[in-house]
Amino acid sequence: MSVLWRWLDKSGVGLLSPLTIILLVIFVVPLLFMFPTSLLLYTPGVGIGSEWTLENYIQIATDSYYHKVILRSIGMAFTVTLATIVIGYPLAYFLARTNSRIRNWLILLVIFPMLLNLVVRSFGWIALLSKNGLINEALISVGIIDVPLKLIFNLTGLIIGMTHIFLPFMVLLVMGAIQNIPDDLEEAAAVLGGNSARVFFSVIFPLSVPGLLSGGILVFILSISALVTPRLLGGPTYKVISTLIFDEFMQLLNWPAGSALAFVLSFIALVVIWLSGVITRRWMEHLI
Amino acid sequence: MLWLSFACASELDLNQEVRKILYALTIKNLCKTFGTSVAVKDFSIDINDGEFLTFLGPSGCGKTTILRMIAGLVTPDRGQIVLQGLDVTHVPVHKRKIGLVFQSYALFPHMTVFDNIAFGLRRNKLPKKDIAKRVSSALEKVRLDGLDQRFPKQLSGGQQQRVALGRAIAPEPSILLLDEPLSNLDKQLRMEMQVELKRLQQEVGVTTVFVTHDQSEAMAMSDRICVLKNGEVQQVDSPEQLYHQPQNKFIATFLGRSNVFEVSVKKITGDRFTMLEADGGFTFLADMTGKKCEGNKVHVVIRHEVIKISKNKPKAKKGLNSFTANVTFRAFSGSSIEFMATLSDGPEIMLKADNDENSQSIFPGDSVWVSWDPKAALINKLDG
Repeated sequence: MSVLWRWLDKSGVGLLSPLTIILLVIFVVPLLFMFPTSLLLYTPGVGIGSEWTLENYIQIATDSYYHKVILRSIGMAFTVTLATIVIGYPLAYFLARTNSRIRNWLILLVIFPMLLNLVVRSFGWIALLSKNGLINEALISVGIIDVPLKLIFNLTGLIIGMTHIFLPFMVLLVMGAIQNIPDDLEEAAAVLGGNSARVFFSVIFPLSVPGLLSGGILVFILSISALVTPRLLGGPTYKVISTLIFDEFMQLLNWPAGSALAFVLSFIALVVIWLSGVITRRWMEHLI
Repeated sequence: MLWLSFACASELDLNQEVRKILYALTIKNLCKTFGTSVAVKDFSIDINDGEFLTFLGPSGCGKTTILRMIAGLVTPDRGQIVLQGLDVTHVPVHKRKIGLVFQSYALFPHMTVFDNIAFGLRRNKLPKKDIAKRVSSALEKVRLDGLDQRFPKQLSGGQQQRVALGRAIAPEPSILLLDEPLSNLDKQLRMEMQVELKRLQQEVGVTTVFVTHDQSEAMAMSDRICVLKNGEVQQVDSPEQLYHQPQNKFIATFLGRSNVFEVSVKKITGDRFTMLEADGGFTFLADMTGKKCEGNKVHVVIRHEVIKISKNKPKAKKGLNSFTANVTFRAFSGSSIEFMATLSDGPEIMLKADNDENSQSIFPGDSVWVSWDPKAALINKLDG
């Protein structure tokens, strides 16, 4: 026992223990309980069987419907990540470098979507994007289009809504990374004859990549596992993995299939994190 | 008649041309205000080609702001900056062809030493071969051969400093600006780099503007020093002239260590020396020849190394200031020993003696004689 205490003390792991315990009890243990469930078979009207089988996983691997939903989910998460980078990076750069008095207000504005209730926010988008919504009405009245655009209950609606929700994560993380780049480096590059484009692409951007990657991981994982937004903006028929899992559990009561899907989702998330980790480490090798 | 005026005009042009070539850098009436605080007040200077000029002053005196205006990183409110005959006041930073070494070195952490140094060369669309050649020649000049594939984090502070220097000189800038480049190094290394920097500057022959708050560094390295205070030039001169003929009390006390007395000049008689009286009735002699300050209050500055200390009364010499005193403090620093001594019925003075048998035998509490030559006093009119 005393050996354990000494190890906890010396290694610094002791400091992590409150968080470790919480994660173990409310996250890892339930996850482990779920795993056996995913290896059982559910028969409608009968219930969960008692024989071990890989049937649920085999179905996910072979059924083209699942392929479609999984690819759609990955594609959506990827697009949302890209969109938050494209929209968020310039904003993050501005916020990191400006001395403007309105800077703090702008940061508040960036965080603002996070302060709103998820459902309210999504209904706001429905009001804006639906067939008779503000955007379509406006475009028709101006005469740009004749037939309303389909902006909701499809991929477009999901991407718009999720980009809005997850943009703050990207902006805050990238802003932090850019703030950590000393002004001196930009000035040194300019003095050495770099015009603003060269200063950006050869100094600022490479040094902000770590922040970009961590923002990317976060947005990707959050959007691939988001439930409420896809549910509301995708409607009942346009599905992604997370809504599929929800339906399996809550509507079809097919816990084993739902668990199997949940593990596939976790696996995808882990692969993404691992890949980004590899890239980050490559990139950061010489920075630390 | 027309022809004559034409000739005059062209001669005038020629004169201007000559003037332009004469100076590597000319600054005229430069002003800069940040908010309500004046950083630089009507600053003008001419810097000769190949000269090593130092801006010296306490922090907040505007020296870095001037440097940054030369580089183009700060826009002046008023004034003109002429670099090798070209008015660059409104030329953007990246087109000025300037070498700048930052206090923090500002090396690009994600690039190798090679890429750091090559950064300034890549804009010229040089062939790869030439870039490699010029990088290795720069590395040789700063004595870092063979470290070109290292990353900045893998180098020591002194090596990083050299990379920053190499990066600045590789594109052969028209002027090299150094912003307190040595202040992040420890003392030993700083001395080494002073020598190295001076050697490099002479070897490359590049006009150099150096910014520092360290007077000994400025004295050791500069051809000329420009002393600044509160955004204004106090004096521009060679280190020797600044030290021996300071134009005001600020310079006299900023360079070297001194005793300063505020005295009133009684009457300059025909004698060689004049009696001066400080507050509190302390009187001594000084050479006032050529000084027109009769009846005025003046500052008398006596450098601490001109004051002699001894246990026995010094040999009487006509006009020598000698007083009995009590030693209050002694600091041994190797080649010399510094003392503080309170004069009988007088102020406390600071002095520095060579480390010899005489000074070795003097300790706090001892009664001693201190003396100085009246000619050694530096006299300035009371400023302000």
